Amino acid sequence: MPRIGVYICHCGLNIASVVNVEELREYAEELDDVVTAKDIDYVCSDAGQDEIKLDIERHNLERVVIAACSPRMHESTLRKTLGEAGLNPYLLEVANIREQCSWVHIADSAKATQKAKDLIRMAVSKARWLEPLYPRKIPAIKNALIIGGGVAGINAALDLADAGHEVYLVEKKFTIGGHMALLNEIFPSNDCSICVLAPKMVDASTHPHITLYTNSEVESVEGSVGNFKVRIKKKPRYVDEDKCKGCIEDCANLCPIEVPNEVDAGISNRKAIYLPIPQAVPLCACIDPEHCVGCRLCEEGCEPKAINFDQKDERIEVDVGAIIVATGYKPFDAARKPEYGYGTIPNVITTMELERLLNASGPTRGKVKRISDGRVPGKVAFIQCVGSRDAQVGNLYCSSVCCMSAMKNAQLIRERYPDTEVKIFYIDIRATGSGYEEYYDKARKEGVKFIRSSVSEVWDTRNHNPVMRYEDTLACESREEEFDMVVLSIGMEPSENIKELESILNLAENPAGFLAPAHLKTRPVDTHVDGIFIAGCAIGPKDIQTSIAQGCAAASHAFRLLEPGEIELEPFSAYVIDMLCTGCKLCEDICQYDNIKLIDGVAKLDEVTCKGCGSCAAACPTGAIVVRHFTDEQIYSQINSVLGDKSEYPLIIAFLCNWCAYAGADIAGSLRIQYPTNVRIIRVMCSGRVNPRFVLEAIQNGADGVLVAGCRQGECHYGEGNYLARRRMKILKEILRDVGFDDRRIRVAGISASDGEKFAEIIHDFTEELMRIGPTGAEFMGEEDAESILEVENSNDSG
Amino acid sequence: MADITPNPDFTREVIANGGETLNLCYQCGTCTGSCLSSRMTAFKTRKAVRMAQLGMKDQVLSSKDLWYCTTCYTCYERCPRGVDIPGVLFAMRNLAVQAGHMAEGHKRTSEAIITYGHAVRPSDKNTELRKALGLVETPPTVLVHESGLMDIKRIMCKTGFDKLIGKPIDLGAGAVLK
Repeated sequence: MPRIGVYICHCGLNIASVVNVEELREYAEELDDVVTAKDIDYVCSDAGQDEIKLDIERHNLERVVIAACSPRMHESTLRKTLGEAGLNPYLLEVANIREQCSWVHIADSAKATQKAKDLIRMAVSKARWLEPLYPRKIPAIKNALIIGGGVAGINAALDLADAGHEVYLVEKKFTIGGHMALLNEIFPSNDCSICVLAPKMVDASTHPHITLYTNSEVESVEGSVGNFKVRIKKKPRYVDEDKCKGCIEDCANLCPIEVPNEVDAGISNRKAIYLPIPQAVPLCACIDPEHCVGCRLCEEGCEPKAINFDQKDERIEVDVGAIIVATGYKPFDAARKPEYGYGTIPNVITTMELERLLNASGPTRGKVKRISDGRVPGKVAFIQCVGSRDAQVGNLYCSSVCCMSAMKNAQLIRERYPDTEVKIFYIDIRATGSGYEEYYDKARKEGVKFIRSSVSEVWDTRNHNPVMRYEDTLACESREEEFDMVVLSIGMEPSENIKELESILNLAENPAGFLAPAHLKTRPVDTHVDGIFIAGCAIGPKDIQTSIAQGCAAASHAFRLLEPGEIELEPFSAYVIDMLCTGCKLCEDICQYDNIKLIDGVAKLDEVTCKGCGSCAAACPTGAIVVRHFTDEQIYSQINSVLGDKSEYPLIIAFLCNWCAYAGADIAGSLRIQYPTNVRIIRVMCSGRVNPRFVLEAIQNGADGVLVAGCRQGECHYGEGNYLARRRMKILKEILRDVGFDDRRIRVAGISASDGEKFAEIIHDFTEELMRIGPTGAEFMGEEDAESILEVENSNDSG
Repeated sequence: MADITPNPDFTREVIANGGETLNLCYQCGTCTGSCLSSRMTAFKTRKAVRMAQLGMKDQVLSSKDLWYCTTCYTCYERCPRGVDIPGVLFAMRNLAVQAGHMAEGHKRTSEAIITYGHAVRPSDKNTELRKALGLVETPPTVLVHESGLMDIKRIMCKTGFDKLIGKPIDLGAGAVLK
């Protein structure tokens, strides 16, 4: 058996004032396989660590147990200490006798000391089963793929390419630039949008490290972080990019087909051969196969002979180490609000259309004209929140830019046509960015009127002056008012192909249908798939500056990953013992990372992409899946070591997930929230790791209650582990209830990492309930028997 | 200034009696602008909802405006928050009636039901039409079956509806309430 050294930290008086450290040391010395036990003032100090290092050498230690503060504090430092002494860093086990003991049982030294002994015994038991682990390093390809050539994607591409990485930039449309390339001026500085963006578009197309694929889509992605294999479909544009000079006149003038121009939302027409926008990058004509009749007149006009009707779909395969998804948004379809008459009332237009009217390179060369008669409107209304904050269309979120863009456009109209009256009909004004509130001020000063109202309906009149019916909610008056033009401030929706992309990349979405980051607050541009990052409006509506910031953030995360050329992976992955696998496929269905595949009747698990949550192992009926550092043997040894010498009644075994519930218990300690000593905690990475067998094992061996606690619903760090735990425990409870077992002995809870109060409350409540129910097994006996058990338990307790 | 001392109990009562979605309202006014009645009357849908949110019990229950909603449901159809506005108004109407604020017209209609068993009695024109069509002059309803009319009165009496409209029924000494 391994030679174990135990070190008990005083933590000044933090531990030593409550727990009898001397008694603990004597106790630890007597435990099997322990060759040395010491108490140290501060284990985390240099002196403390030097002593441990010296001992490892002197006593030839093979495992180290440290009884101190929470492993969430110093585990990584202590691991390094082991490494420096030549021991594998993962042969360390920490007994948490501060947050879980001395800080939460201040008034009961005797019981706290007893509990600390249990915690040390559990740690020593687990330590016996520890195995050396090695963080794996895999070579990583230094190239990156960026999906989406809008402002976020372009900035990400430039950042990575400037740092020397090869970047493949894939854009669905014929030109990069995204929606920003269509806008007129942008708030709050009122710069010309394309003047800011065009140089970056050109940089992206001429950069030696960027390869641009326009009119292209990502068809499939295989592999994992550091080594993705990407297949890109490049669709034909029927014009040779290398030959076309972008003159457009020679070919387009000959083209007999005229269709509404989609970028101008139908305000102007274009030919079947056209330039998507005058500043298109690449500056190359394209033929719209939907409308082209194949007359080939354009070929005659094209001097460089760039037109090529033989172009076919091309498949391009690239290898990349990281992927950034910046696929942007789709403007809300205003026709889905029929009461506003968009599409039937000519002078009701959307923000995007107004942007084009105001744009110097737009269809009216920057003149605001009514669609019905080309007259400059004398009175314009903006209706806000069209398609946003609206349960009727299923969009509960705020699109965040419409207030600002309406104010901007209102000001531009007032500047160009000082006699035009402009009213903005708003529900709430959201002007939270830097300089935005001042911008709101400026709009009011320039005479823009703000009416607090959500307009109810719009109808047309004979001279096409739209009439709006609304309540001015501040004046408490219902009105009907005629305008020359009504602008609908349309919100943003998830882009059309986002679902397809989600399934290709295995990404999750938020309730609104945008891409979900790994953590809403702390990991805003990461996804739960390693090596895939997200940026811009693909995550949700946002303004240009935030999109750029996210593009840069995603690039920096990708850079951090790609730069070393290799990737170090945590060693807590799972693996399959082929001999034990029966090919039942349960694990394949359970794994949220699509990381297990049944091949030739045996589960194959990719250790490189495994996150180590252990949900699969908990489901495996034959125990064929082993989770490193949280193996069945290690967990059983912890359970059995507590219950082999049951020191308290009632006794609760608590399985807590590392990220939330365990951290919540730690916080109870930091805040000194007191609770009964009756709980012994076993840490797992995810509550999904808790095999119902662990719970049975605990109950069979005399635990009076078992708590399984993970993150709150919807907050699991591995997707759905907490949900799996809840489901499994529900079934287990039903089965146990059928045989007469009191199922109140098993509890499931979601505890956030900040909720120490809740953890303490659960322990209080559970302990009291278990006192009422009686010791485990009481439900199968007569009252007298139960009492006699209790007597034995109590005598154990006092002994 | 109107007294707007909040009465949270009233708000809770409205929520419990059909106004579950009351608190979702963010006062945008889509409802008022959509309201047929508010074009002709002093009724402001949004304001009624606001008063419910603030718990302005006395003002809202005694208000005549409460009865001007025609229950066309346009407000509910357009409400961006999905508030069941007619539900909120019905809840308040029920509470208003219980507090003794029934609209005069409703009282008169109810009286007609108690007295004749019909909200609208057959007119002379009606009778003539029936005759012309070869129908019996008086339709075979409570107008003919007196025991039916008595049953209606008993129901009104037992539910206390007669007192709500301010016309207590005297069923006479011999009438047994079942």
